[in-house]
Amino acid sequence: MSTYRANWLFYILGDVLACFVSFFVWEAVFISNGGESFMGFDKSDMVVYIFMSFLTGQVISSGGTYNIGEEVKDGSIAMRMIKPISYNATFLFQEIGNKLMEIGVIFIPLVAGVEIYRFAVTGELKFDILKFLIYLVCCVFAYAINFFFNICYGFTAFVFKNLWGSNMLKNTVVSFLSGAIIPLAFLPEVLKNVLICLPFSSLTYTPVMIYMGMYTGYELLFFAGVQIFWAVVFWLLSKVIWKCVINRLSIQGG
Amino acid sequence: MFREILRALKMHRIFIVQELKRFTEYKGDFLTGAVGLLLAQLCNIVFISVIFGQIPELMGWKYNEVMFIYGFSLIPKALDHLFFDNLWSVGYFIVRKGDFDKYLTRPINPLFHVMAEKFQVDAFGEMVIGIILLSCSLPSIEVEWGIGKVLLVIVAIIFASFIYTGIKIGTASIAFWTKRSGNITFMFYMVNDFVKYPIDIYNNVVRSVLTYIIPFAFTSYFPALYFLTGENPLFNIGMTIVVALIVMTIGVLIWNRGIKAYESAGS
Repeated sequence: MSTYRANWLFYILGDVLACFVSFFVWEAVFISNGGESFMGFDKSDMVVYIFMSFLTGQVISSGGTYNIGEEVKDGSIAMRMIKPISYNATFLFQEIGNKLMEIGVIFIPLVAGVEIYRFAVTGELKFDILKFLIYLVCCVFAYAINFFFNICYGFTAFVFKNLWGSNMLKNTVVSFLSGAIIPLAFLPEVLKNVLICLPFSSLTYTPVMIYMGMYTGYELLFFAGVQIFWAVVFWLLSKVIWKCVINRLSIQGG
Repeated sequence: MFREILRALKMHRIFIVQELKRFTEYKGDFLTGAVGLLLAQLCNIVFISVIFGQIPELMGWKYNEVMFIYGFSLIPKALDHLFFDNLWSVGYFIVRKGDFDKYLTRPINPLFHVMAEKFQVDAFGEMVIGIILLSCSLPSIEVEWGIGKVLLVIVAIIFASFIYTGIKIGTASIAFWTKRSGNITFMFYMVNDFVKYPIDIYNNVVRSVLTYIIPFAFTSYFPALYFLTGENPLFNIGMTIVVALIVMTIGVLIWNRGIKAYESAGS
């Protein structure tokens, strides 16, 4: 990672550009709208949503799918299996190392930028340390869901050979279902309620709504509970899938 | 010159046939990538539809006009993706792993060889959505269509796709010096997200960048504007062709310099 620091920075810049596209599209929406709120979101809410959902997506991202796929394909998964620690743990700690650096670089500037923007537009400081801490805790839950979900999905590499394609397919579907493209609140009522029950809304939508202060009291506890529920489900599922596939694994070559 | 082009086209066909044979072996692969790209576009269409569910016009643009520009932007992108996807690999690993040696030892132009080697059927996902959007939004747009205009669309799309290819060649070439430039290509490539929407929703700075610096506006907005309004063909179509030629030339110049700086990896 640190060897290709510049390369990684370009990648993040490329991703941030996508945020700016949404930013300008929403700005145009609010201009066309006469500056009124859009389905309960005013302009500053929308800006916070766009950038915080991007940031949350980065914080909780997990590369398990791709790595497992590659390792199954080239056989290097064997090297992990001969180590006397849990298979999942080797991935987890490898990833946490990378993640700390990533977050260090983008987290503070983005949160600061969002808060300064919000202060400049609304004229009041909306940053609430308690909400922020709850947000961080929810990000940890969201990361756990994503981590185990990706491990489960990674084993589809036994079926799909096109890793780039299947990974992109997953990312697209997940980013839509998690509310990263449109806030789920904007979707038709029925669809919204279905998506809120699915595990993916716990990934981005829940933490961001908490950060924005849209959830309070019992609602907050309920959604945090949903997150924990899904984290446990995927954790168990990854164990089950591991037990099933490990006997079918055959490694080619010497 | 003419014979060389014929030879190149013939070889390109052989490369594509080889690739298609590979796909018949992994049929599922083809579907996963294409379906993924198709869904990615569908999500954005839902996004636009949600917006237009609440407001009748986006800065003066109607729903079907925005859809037309969106659809138009996908087709040159898909064409470049379909034929010249291998340029990504140059920046990500071909140079870094020293695999570029292979291209230098063959009796054909290395740039042509790299570009022609892969045929990326995933691109059909974007292509299909682009064509559907164009054909759905066309009936509601009052423009007269003649054979001349249809030809212009084809010319505009082909040259627009060269803008993508030129930018990819130029940024991939940076790998000859730095070993790895895939993410630089990625950063430039992501700029194309801006031109899926009419560029006059952006501020002056963004608009100037999209027109003069990374001229993706010529891959969708300007040519699409001509077909939407029938105005200014000389600028909207003519400049698309000129810009495509300029970008392609710059790309090839960087490539030619880079290839001299190439050092193989390993022992």
